Amino acid sequence: MESARIERLLDAYFEGNTTLAEEATLRDYFTNGEVAAHLEPMKPMFEGFVKAKEEVSATEIALPRSGSKINPWWYSIAATFLVAVTVGSIVFSNSGLSKEEEEALAALKQTREAMMMLSSNLNKGTENVAYLNEFTKGTSTIRHIEQFTETKNKILK
Amino acid sequence: MKQKEFLSTVLPFKDKLYRLAKRLLVSSDEAEDAVQEIFLKLWNGKEKIGKYKNPEAFAMTMTKNYCLDRLKSKQAGNMKIVHSNFQNSENVEKQVEANDGVTHVFQIMETLPEQQRMILQLRDVEQYEYAEIAEMLDLNETAIRVALSRARKAIREEMIKKYNYGIS
Repeated sequence: MESARIERLLDAYFEGNTTLAEEATLRDYFTNGEVAAHLEPMKPMFEGFVKAKEEVSATEIALPRSGSKINPWWYSIAATFLVAVTVGSIVFSNSGLSKEEEEALAALKQTREAMMMLSSNLNKGTENVAYLNEFTKGTSTIRHIEQFTETKNKILK
Repeated sequence: MKQKEFLSTVLPFKDKLYRLAKRLLVSSDEAEDAVQEIFLKLWNGKEKIGKYKNPEAFAMTMTKNYCLDRLKSKQAGNMKIVHSNFQNSENVEKQVEANDGVTHVFQIMETLPEQQRMILQLRDVEQYEYAEIAEMLDLNETAIRVALSRARKAIREEMIKKYNYGIS
């Protein structure tokens, strides 16, 4: 009979000698359908196991967003790159400014050259003025000479 | 290993981890925490998980170790009273949803030693092969059969006691 087979299985079950298939037979017997009266006390046990398997975890698994482990090595590379870019951009923007400055410098240089030329010419001018003085001295000497010739002419007459 | 790939490996046995944790810790909140914790640990060691031929058994072992540690620190922290209070409120909830006999089975299971509880959970609830349980719990199959037999008999005894009490 069915219950005789079940009893045999139960005995093996309590000794820990049943296979998974045999245990499934037992679960089936106790949870679906008629159970022999003398086996009734065993029913809640198998019902309990079935019930216990219905429990389900309700929490969503929250994993760290950023893939947990970015190698610290990558962080240092990224940081270095960032610093390089920042410094580079500052330097670059400075040299960009100096373009105008360069023009201004060039203009300044030109102006200075022009001024130098002007001033050297001016110096030449003043030298010439000095010569002019000499000239007037000369002319005054010439006047003396004229005086001299006048007196000489007087003497010769 | 990408997050998606990781989850597809690991999510199929999430509920099994949860049920084992709950069997040991009793409180469902603590069991949820345990699952979250185990998944974080698995995620951090995700490069290793590919190397295990059975990630599920590995995760089960982790859960077992985690829960036993929790129970140990709880005992050390003298949390017994809080724990048993919690147990009562849980049981009230259970009584509402489950019938009396099944509730009683759960109550009996809570009184079993931890190892028997785990083996009963893995075999009679989750239906693992003895070889798998041996791998998860790091025990030999004979020891598992012995503990399982004891656990089953202990439940039977308690149930018969209650059944006879109910009859008379």
